[in-house]
Amino acid sequence: MIIGRRYIDYKSLLPKIVAGAVVLVLAIFPAIDHSVVTLSILISSGIWGIAAMGFTLILRTGQFSMGQAAFMAIGGYVAAILTVKLGVPFWPSFLASGVLAGVVAFLIGIVVLRVGGTYFSIITLAFGEMVRIVITNWESVTRGAAGILLRPPAPIAIGNFEINFATSIVPYYYFMFLLVAISGLVFWQIDRSRIGGTFRGVAANPMLSEHLGVPLMKYRVIAFTVAGVFTGLAGAFHVHFISVVTPLVYGLWQSIQIMMMSIVGGISSIVGGSLIGAFALYTVSNYLTRVPIFNIQYLVFGAVVVLVVLFLPRGTGIIDLWSRFWRKVFKDSDIYEEFSTD
Amino acid sequence: MPPAGIWVDGLVQSCIYMTMAFGMVLVFSILGILNWTHGQFYMLGAFVLYYAVTAGIPFPLGLLVSGIVIGGLGMLFERIIIKPLNTPPYGALYVTVATLALIFFFEGAAGLAFGLLPKGLATVLSGAISLGSFDITYQRLAVIIFTLVVMSAMYFVLSSTKVGLAIRAVAQEPVAASLYGISAARVSVTVMGIGCALAAMAGGIIAPVHSVEPFMGRIPMIMSLLAIVIGGLGSLTGAIVGAIILGVLNSVIAYKISFWSEVVLFMLVIIILLVRPQGLFGAAAK
Amino acid sequence: MALLKLERVTKLFGKLAALEDINLDVEEGEILGIVGPNGSGKTTLINVISGYYRPTKGEVIFKGEKISGLRPDQIAAKGIVRTFQSNVLYEGATVLESMLLSSHLQYQSTDWEAFLNTKRYKDDFEKVVGRVLELLKEYDLLNDTFLPAKGLSHGFQRMLGILMALMANPKVLLLDEPTTGMNHEEAMFVVGHIKKINQQGVTVVLVEHNMKVISSITTKVVVLDFGHKIAEGQPREVMNRPEVIQAYLGTEVMV
Repeated sequence: MIIGRRYIDYKSLLPKIVAGAVVLVLAIFPAIDHSVVTLSILISSGIWGIAAMGFTLILRTGQFSMGQAAFMAIGGYVAAILTVKLGVPFWPSFLASGVLAGVVAFLIGIVVLRVGGTYFSIITLAFGEMVRIVITNWESVTRGAAGILLRPPAPIAIGNFEINFATSIVPYYYFMFLLVAISGLVFWQIDRSRIGGTFRGVAANPMLSEHLGVPLMKYRVIAFTVAGVFTGLAGAFHVHFISVVTPLVYGLWQSIQIMMMSIVGGISSIVGGSLIGAFALYTVSNYLTRVPIFNIQYLVFGAVVVLVVLFLPRGTGIIDLWSRFWRKVFKDSDIYEEFSTD
Repeated sequence: MPPAGIWVDGLVQSCIYMTMAFGMVLVFSILGILNWTHGQFYMLGAFVLYYAVTAGIPFPLGLLVSGIVIGGLGMLFERIIIKPLNTPPYGALYVTVATLALIFFFEGAAGLAFGLLPKGLATVLSGAISLGSFDITYQRLAVIIFTLVVMSAMYFVLSSTKVGLAIRAVAQEPVAASLYGISAARVSVTVMGIGCALAAMAGGIIAPVHSVEPFMGRIPMIMSLLAIVIGGLGSLTGAIVGAIILGVLNSVIAYKISFWSEVVLFMLVIIILLVRPQGLFGAAAK
Repeated sequence: MALLKLERVTKLFGKLAALEDINLDVEEGEILGIVGPNGSGKTTLINVISGYYRPTKGEVIFKGEKISGLRPDQIAAKGIVRTFQSNVLYEGATVLESMLLSSHLQYQSTDWEAFLNTKRYKDDFEKVVGRVLELLKEYDLLNDTFLPAKGLSHGFQRMLGILMALMANPKVLLLDEPTTGMNHEEAMFVVGHIKKINQQGVTVVLVEHNMKVISSITTKVVVLDFGHKIAEGQPREVMNRPEVIQAYLGTEVMV
């Protein structure tokens, strides 16, 4: 929460320009390198990044959700079932996935966020497992462990130009880009607005906030539901991207990875931190799956995360290295100074 | 009315969840954190027992070995991982992240060290005893007896020994306890050791009934967590009651509706939370 | 009709009666003192009025409306706001941030408007900041606006706590031992501010140990002992009653 800002001159615009340049490069990235491998990594990073943003938003209200992957599963399966089994076109099923994931989040939230805290973490973890069990066993609807295969979304025609998902990965990239941009915008705006401030108050001192008139449940549920909606949308897109959905894709492992992405990337920045964390962790775990020895992925990943947590300065993530860098650059310039919480 | 065997199976499950939940609540009351890796100590205990037994050590002794070895591992774990992360400037979030990450670390390590194929111990304690109209296998009986013994032992330790007194003191009033010379750090290590030993022995005692594989800790962990949620987070009695309810219900419901039992139980937990958000024995609502 | 009424309020914790059969009227505009030895139920009383506890028996009635059983945030929204004895603040926040975090009930704009950053919200925000600065200025905290709240001296921290409560626009302010731990000057400084707040139309319920404070600003005093109301009346007169002195025997009383 930025409270005061002294006169800004061009020097403090520099980090913003650099960040803008990065976004611009990402926007035209397929022109630079349109290999399937690279773009896939970016697309997946973006998708998991959205889930990580959701986790961070929930964390803003002081809660750790250990089951965010379950919302991706809900979004993914709703999208798959609607498009494959019921023939619903892509866009309505996509939006329905988000809505349904949000509804589920709302229902779980109003029950479990009353006490919150550790109970909430336990229930979200259990919820994740329950979703997996339901999906695995409700074979009539979900085809169980075999999963559902999806076909690419229908081509989108804009004037004479046709965006064909079947022939190239680039449309997926831009879909992801837009989805991340929109999600990021929403999360960012919530976080920096008065609502984000209320969230922080609720997290920092729920009793005090409550006695000052803040309805705790309302804000906790808002965060949890919004996170659910966008995570569901991310899941719905993800299944179309990987063309298949099975119960294994969104389990406890993924929920915990989402959590790691948010924290390692840096919880101070809800968009940048989540995306960087997602990119970093995704590429690491992707690399690890190439290692021929089975199970080393689990072992190394677990160890790496613990080490990272132990050695990252308190409360910071990768994104904070960015802020520290700029602070070093402008060390002697007293024009760049902000007052902010934590 | 489900046959007696189902009730027995339920009781056996309750015993396992009870032992694990008890250890978790103990750790929570002293250290203030939930050890998400608890299920993996259960799993490792099972593996230690397996290798002890196949090396020729008699089952009861193997159980003890498993308890001691993994209890010791738990104490090391507390020193190296938990304590540094539980003190400022770190905190509960870091402990949570670390213990979650370590779930996978231990599972991966076990997978590498012991292989992924489930290992059986069906030959240990084989045979069954006949109780009226139904049979109960020695293996299952062992679980029940084991749990009774362990719970009684824990009750005795907590109520009548110096260690137990120290534990209760730190759980209720850490500051006052320290003023009386009770070291919270020592109690923390001890409690962690006890908790992990309990989990390990639970894994060991159930090993003949089920099989031993690296991911065996997950479902018992979740069920124990749900038991704690039903019972109320800081309450040892709650953990026991919650475990009994959960274990028996799981078995009975599974008998009626097969695989959906865990989901139904989850729903039940949600309903209980609707009525009593802090659990049955949790800190009372105001 | 009294602004705030407690009718036969009882609060049991298991078998322990923290409050028993309390009848209390708070008239609009007054400063009511609540005194009593330690453990007499003073803070419990505040907890019950503010909604933190639900009374086991009896009702709390505010402006003719039953509020017992409502949540603390609902009661705050109705106009009853409390401060905390152990001076609860937001960790790591500056004075300004603390005040802004306390502004939930000051804002007129909805969360949607805040999210969309509409003009109405921006105007509202400016008004709120204006009110914050106005309060800080009036109570001598303006110089500390950007300083961490925890860095202030004890007395100023207490004042900040009271100002944060004021941001919630209370009709009734419940002050839980605001001068604890203060020397005479600091206490009288806070007393002066409480008087000012009362003169601006806020009814005050003041739980206190310090008799000098009580006798200097309260119009009426209620004495509690072991959860019972044992006396009520003018401060000086009430404190000289035998049953009150009896209750305090053995307890240190600052007179």
